[in-house]
Amino acid sequence: MSTRHVLLGLLATGPSHGYDLKRRHDARFPQARPLAYGQVYTTLQRLVRDGLAEVEGTDADGGPERTRYRATDEGARELADWLGRIAPPAPFVTNEIFAKVVVAILTATAGAPADPAAYLRDQRAAHKARMRELTAVKANPDADLATVLSADYALHHLDADLRWMTTTAGRLPALTQEIQHP
Amino acid sequence: MRADATLAWALLRGSDRREWWRTSLTALGALLATFLGLAAVTVGTVSGHTQVPYGNGLLDEAGTRMGVVVALLGLLIPVLGFLGQCARLGAVHRDRRLAALRLAGATPAQVRRIAALESGFACLAGAVLALCGFVVLLLAATHTARPPLAWLGYAVVTLGVPAVAVLVSVLALRRVVASPLGWVRRTRPERSTTGVAFTAAGMLAIGGAVAALLIRGSSASAALFPLAFVAALALSGLAAVSVAGASAKLLGKRLATSSRPAVLIAAGRLRMDPWAASRTHASVLLVTVVAVGFMGLWQLTRAQTAAGVILAENADYYLGGYHLTGLGLLLALAISLGALAIGTAESLTTRRRALAAQAAAGVPRSVLRRALLLETALPLAPAVLLAGVGGMGLYATYASMMATVAMPVVLPLLTPLLVYAICLLAAAASLPLLRRAVRPAELRHE
Amino acid sequence: MSTQQGAPLIAARDLTKTYGRTGAALRGACVELAAGEILAVTGASGSGKSTLLHCLAGIVTPDEGAVVYGQRRLDQLSEADRTLLRRTDFGVVFQFGQLIPELTALDNAALPLLLAGTSRGQARERADAWLERFGVRGQAELRPGEMSGGQAQRVALARALVTEPKAVFADEPTGALDSLAGEQVMTALVHTAREAGTAVLLVTHDAQTAAYADREVELRDGTVLEVAEAPDLAETAQPTEAPQVTEAGHEG
Repeated sequence: MSTRHVLLGLLATGPSHGYDLKRRHDARFPQARPLAYGQVYTTLQRLVRDGLAEVEGTDADGGPERTRYRATDEGARELADWLGRIAPPAPFVTNEIFAKVVVAILTATAGAPADPAAYLRDQRAAHKARMRELTAVKANPDADLATVLSADYALHHLDADLRWMTTTAGRLPALTQEIQHP
Repeated sequence: MRADATLAWALLRGSDRREWWRTSLTALGALLATFLGLAAVTVGTVSGHTQVPYGNGLLDEAGTRMGVVVALLGLLIPVLGFLGQCARLGAVHRDRRLAALRLAGATPAQVRRIAALESGFACLAGAVLALCGFVVLLLAATHTARPPLAWLGYAVVTLGVPAVAVLVSVLALRRVVASPLGWVRRTRPERSTTGVAFTAAGMLAIGGAVAALLIRGSSASAALFPLAFVAALALSGLAAVSVAGASAKLLGKRLATSSRPAVLIAAGRLRMDPWAASRTHASVLLVTVVAVGFMGLWQLTRAQTAAGVILAENADYYLGGYHLTGLGLLLALAISLGALAIGTAESLTTRRRALAAQAAAGVPRSVLRRALLLETALPLAPAVLLAGVGGMGLYATYASMMATVAMPVVLPLLTPLLVYAICLLAAAASLPLLRRAVRPAELRHE
Repeated sequence: MSTQQGAPLIAARDLTKTYGRTGAALRGACVELAAGEILAVTGASGSGKSTLLHCLAGIVTPDEGAVVYGQRRLDQLSEADRTLLRRTDFGVVFQFGQLIPELTALDNAALPLLLAGTSRGQARERADAWLERFGVRGQAELRPGEMSGGQAQRVALARALVTEPKAVFADEPTGALDSLAGEQVMTALVHTAREAGTAVLLVTHDAQTAAYADREVELRDGTVLEVAEAPDLAETAQPTEAPQVTEAGHEG
């Protein structure tokens, strides 16, 4: 995910300072990893360097001095461009689960103490438990739309993983056979 | 019980147009049955020698009056076939609904009561309507007061028809209500027992009544002939019905390799439910047996009159009787054809989703039309042939015993052909429904 | 007071059920449903999920094994007693087809009460309150054919819960719905069941629907496999939270 474009998007809704941006990010993307303040700061610096954002002024209101940023016209164009660009439909499977299963099958057929079936069973249980958690979060009547959206996103991806694991578990005997007797 | 009546009424009120058709046709069948029963009671309760200004003097003598009663009772057979077909109409839908009621926690007895009340309502409406019409006719036509026995008979008939309908549907629904999952486990509609039960119970009762009337007061040896006659009639009807089923099965198997799509579709259908044809055609076949015999006897009497075997002054009396019987037969044929058209329409509407899918997949409508007609035409041909042979057999036996002139055969031989052609026309009458059934919108229904 | 830790609401032991020549649908299946618990039963098609539900709900009787509900053996009760139980203590929701097309949504929801002999006015009043809870009160006078699939399912839920049953049996309740309508139905079911302290047995092949449950068991070839809790998630897992909600519901 492009943090740069997300921050630019948040700035596009109105001028804001770094701490405020972090808070708003975490509220809007509750299921994402929380942003570190340092990361917000360096990203803002780069945006200014590239002419996509600029310093609007500083506020003090009794506390430490804080720099307020806003998006430039070029920043708005860049944001619109990014929003319209489709993401590549993941051409490579780089998931850890996939790698583990393949290696487990390979090593198990070579006699190493690996059990791909047991791994798949445990991983599926973990996925299901996580899905129940996310569903409970989503089904809470007090959940706001951002929470529901991000939980949905995660749920659909976990469901895709789960389907793949279920299918793979069913294919294990044939896969093992194929590797042992090519 | 009040809750059941409330529910039955709510169900009846919420019924869609197709259900209303079924209810109205059932009421019509009940009306016909009641009317025939009332007429039989009226004729049966006239005593002694009278002068009735209608019926060519057939109603004047006790002996011929008995014949009229027998004929009226015999007419009940096609009416029962008609009612059986009505019960089959929408049977799949009704069975599902009853299973849903069971699932909601209705006891089997409750479901039976609700369903029986529904058909009871319809039949009561028909019976009461028939009584009203009959009483008006009676007041307009008769000059003598009816004996109290007749009024008792009217009440029994009017209440008896709906009561029998309720009883029969309670019996027929025994299996349906047993499982709340009826519609889940059933991949295709099972044969509904309602129609069979209706027809079988009715025919048995009528057969018994006719036989009893015929042999009343006669000696054992004299009783043998009419009994044998009724039995032979029933047997040839039964044989024709079973031939319809068996030949449907055989034809379905034989034609399943045909390269003509219409024949192929019809063959598949026949193989899936070979007894559908025999159910639909049962009363038509029975009417054919009787009609062939009747045509023969009518011709024979005319030939005898021409040959002077029967005196001319008696000829009017005999031929008048024949005309009345012929009218009755035509009525029976009309009712049977109505049942046949309903049967074809029912087969079409229950399969409308499958038919719509066929049409959507590009099967031309003309092929579907031909397949539907073949479905009726194929198993009916051997059955009508057998019914014709049976009728001819009865006629020939009688003629050889009685006749002194050459036996005329043209009309009796033509009769089965005529019935066959009319049956095809009746089946074709439901074809306009096909246009509606194959609309793509039907694909959206469950 | 709480039945959560004690005996289960319904327990099935070693259930076997065979249908015709199609082979065994269940072979030695064991499962327990606690009071107020939402339990998902998953598995591939033909794994015996629906048959298990039918046995537990007393719709069919198993060939072998026992179904215990409270102090009673469900599998030994007469059809009449099981019918009574289905009307008073259980509710059922299927994929579709359980509503009666001739009756309005309100009459459909009131049906179990009407069958039990409640007066029409009273039955309709109570059913109306349940339609309101499921957000389909605006459709009260429509017939099933005139509603969307999601609305029809919510009417079916209202009907299943109108007798305030101890358990609701839901067989693929979202199977015929798109994901958003399915989510609304599931959310409504889970919330209402928790509030009323009703146990739910949820049969589904869809992992996202199953995720609404507190616990999940998987059927394979007619036997039940308990889906193990993932070790590192055991502390944070929701199921330990859920019973509190349920118990609160019981008191109320």
